Amino acid sequence: MKIMQMDGQERQVTLVWLGLVALTLGSAWLGEGLASIGITAALVAMIVAIKGLLVIRYYMGLAGRGSRLGQVMRLYFVVVPLLILLAGGAGAVLS
Amino acid sequence: MEMVMGAPAGGLEAAGRVPGNRGMWVGILCELTEFALMFLAYAWFKQVHPADFHHGPAMLNTASGVWNTVVMLTSGYFAVRALLAIRRNDAAAARNWLVATLAGGIAFLLIKAWEFSWNIDHGVVGTGNSFVAMYYYLTFNHLVHVVWGCLGLIWAILRTSFGAYSPEDHDGLEAAVLYWHATDLAWIVIFPLLYVLR
Repeated sequence: MKIMQMDGQERQVTLVWLGLVALTLGSAWLGEGLASIGITAALVAMIVAIKGLLVIRYYMGLAGRGSRLGQVMRLYFVVVPLLILLAGGAGAVLS
Repeated sequence: MEMVMGAPAGGLEAAGRVPGNRGMWVGILCELTEFALMFLAYAWFKQVHPADFHHGPAMLNTASGVWNTVVMLTSGYFAVRALLAIRRNDAAAARNWLVATLAGGIAFLLIKAWEFSWNIDHGVVGTGNSFVAMYYYLTFNHLVHVVWGCLGLIWAILRTSFGAYSPEDHDGLEAAVLYWHATDLAWIVIFPLLYVLR
């Protein structure tokens, strides 16, 4: 990878891509069942939120605080991880 | 609609501009609403049939889920590079990055086809298990959106090849790329729901 020949934006988005792949592999590791259901749910919710917000900001370019569209998209990746947390937490209680 | 673009994908954009076009954003928000309803259905069925959902992820081929995710994220990265290329007036590079993006989409579909075949061989079929039913419900719906995204990318590749886009005017390319990212966002949620969460 000619990362040294990239300009600032290209280098930044390349690092974001590597971070997203690393988070995916972290999620897969959680799927091995090494952590408790509640902790897995909490970590999964956090990883989903981080990945979603990274894609919205660096892939879609919706970074501005005043962007209503950006606010709606970011809200989506607050509400959905909370749903994951609730669903996973309930799973921990029921198991 | 007030809009401020941020680096890097929209780093050159002016405040107040809707990236891509408004029609595409209606489609994207409808898509994400549709998936939000499916995620609610997932949460509901997980409460009603906890045993199915507790044992469900172990029935699936986790490796193909991981590969699907990595391919989707990598394809999204290629799409950003296409957008950056057209903004520096390099249409040939933009076309090549779009072709790479499309290749990622096709790879996603091939992995999914292989996974469905593996499922059938291992008895993971949508009868009598609410987790498996939800798995097919979510993945088939997402698959349809990937196909739409691939068609959009083909259109953008053709338009780029014929010199339709410039640094000043590339809304069509940007709209196709944004739709692709929205499909990526849906998969970011689907992957842990089906392959990780118990």
